[in-house]
Amino acid sequence: MQGIHNAEARIAIRGESDVARAIVQARRMSQAAAFQTVDQSRIATTVSELARNILKYAGQGEVILRGCVGATRRGMEIIAEDSGPGIADTDSALSDHYSSGGTLGLGLPGVQRMMDEFALESEPGAGTRVTVRKWL
Amino acid sequence: MSPLDLAARPAEKPLTAAQMLKLYQLETADLENIQSFGESVVPRLDDYVTRFYDWMETQPEFEQFFSDTEKLDRVQRQQLVYWQEFFAAKVDEEYLDKRRVVGEAHARIGLPLQVYLAAMNVSMKLITGNLYKSGLSPDQYATSIHSVSKLMHMDCAIVVQTFSARVNRIMAEQNDALMEMSTPVTSIWDGILLLPIVGIIDSSRGQDIMNAMLAKISKTRARVAILDISGVAVVDTAVANHLIKITKATRLMGCETTISGISPAIAQTIVELGIDVGDIQTTATLRDALVYAFRATGVEIRQAP
Repeated sequence: MQGIHNAEARIAIRGESDVARAIVQARRMSQAAAFQTVDQSRIATTVSELARNILKYAGQGEVILRGCVGATRRGMEIIAEDSGPGIADTDSALSDHYSSGGTLGLGLPGVQRMMDEFALESEPGAGTRVTVRKWL
Repeated sequence: MSPLDLAARPAEKPLTAAQMLKLYQLETADLENIQSFGESVVPRLDDYVTRFYDWMETQPEFEQFFSDTEKLDRVQRQQLVYWQEFFAAKVDEEYLDKRRVVGEAHARIGLPLQVYLAAMNVSMKLITGNLYKSGLSPDQYATSIHSVSKLMHMDCAIVVQTFSARVNRIMAEQNDALMEMSTPVTSIWDGILLLPIVGIIDSSRGQDIMNAMLAKISKTRARVAILDISGVAVVDTAVANHLIKITKATRLMGCETTISGISPAIAQTIVELGIDVGDIQTTATLRDALVYAFRATGVEIRQAP
């Protein structure tokens, strides 16, 4: 089997069925990397949140799943990017129960809690990129 | 893909003739080149058909698709018409429609796309080589070939598009069929409903589940329902939101829903997401949910002595 550190999957997100593909792929990769069941669930849930956000706010974008290597450990990196409207107020987007889309408003802060590293880059009008990592 | 999802992603609108001409850089001069090139080729198309089928017979697909002579006859006649229209080079909506019909016909019989493209390649070679007998200067000849190949590429693209549109349509239909099978609300006891959910819940499926549950409650007057999610791949905020809404709606109809099959991993992610499950009844196993349901409906289970 291909080692996780050089595995990469890019999934174009254009519809609900693409979200499903991304979740299944995330499951497979985290399983292959020998993440614990709870972490597999965190990773799949994260991918689901991020992919759904792309669909909801930008219409389309891409999710990239890949292995990553740190100084002393290995892990998995998830990048979700789109060229949608972007997030005007990133601080609010990261606080609980704030939603500009009429939903629970727990997605991004939840992802931040589930992952080990979290970075949100967004520019209004230019798009959004969320990069997260989970270490083994 | 459910109908809702299809609406969210409309089928790509086919381009108009004018847009196609622009896309393939076919200008009036190109169409004229094709027409005058055709003057030399069209009278010899019978020869083309003969040579083309000499090649076709060498292909493994030949037997499969052209075993009966009547069919072969019909296809050959259509092929003649096809090239006559090609060299008439009148690219309008009708022309595009006819190309789509050609693609649809090939896709329907299951002809591999690569055989179709190989056949177009052979046709190109025959038409510009063996069939061509005219006194164009080398420069004029090269320009004509260029124009002919532009139109051939456009025709091929239409056929390829028709093929892939067909595949997408089949996928969407299969998805719909799967969705219909995936909400089997069953009345497992007087007043008790069970719906096991497997796979991924998206918004249209969430809506399907809601509709199926409420319809069944109104039909069976069930007091208790069990939604087993042990087979669900992911419970993210959207899925949790759906589940919460479903339990609220069933409660309004007098039916208390228990969500069973919460694994340790799912329990932790729900907490980390910060979802407030409120007073929703949840259990780790389906068995626990059943015990609860029997108690709520006044059924007593006893071991036979």
